[in-house]
Amino acid sequence: MATGVDQAVGMSLVVFSLLLFTYYSVWVIILPFMDNEHTLHKYFLPREYSVILPGIAAVVLLLCIGAFTAVIMWKNRKPKKVD
Amino acid sequence: MTKLVEWLLGVSLVGAAWALVSFDLLDLSLPQTYREVAWPMPLYLLVSFGCFSLATVGYRVATFNDCDEAAKELMEQIKEAKEDLRKRGLKM
Repeated sequence: MATGVDQAVGMSLVVFSLLLFTYYSVWVIILPFMDNEHTLHKYFLPREYSVILPGIAAVVLLLCIGAFTAVIMWKNRKPKKVD
Repeated sequence: MTKLVEWLLGVSLVGAAWALVSFDLLDLSLPQTYREVAWPMPLYLLVSFGCFSLATVGYRVATFNDCDEAAKELMEQIKEAKEDLRKRGLKM
């Protein structure tokens, strides 16, 4: 069995993704069926954010991947040979 | 029919059904709540797929088994390879 930090990191990833999935599911699927006066609504942002926030996250992710690729390619450039 | 054409057909069918429901293209006058739930469906499926991938990666990181014999065997093989290469003149 993986030990120590590996287990902690793995389990925290699982818990985090479960929480995210539950929150997002309630936000997108269950909330529209609740009355506007239900107390559940105060735990959730307005519904427009359920589209905007993942969009921003996707853009940030693409930026990080692009920046990482650019840094790696910059470090690996070879100067032209001089004869 | 190739697999690509099959997948494209399936995706366009699902996409057409989604567009029909969320933008009311046939004027079926569905209740507003159903349209509100159907509209973010593609994004919701993407987010839940991402969560599922993250959970799978995390779970497999947490339950990965140490392979002691394979590790020892690998160290042996590395030593042998280094010896061999040294004999053939490669400076390490």
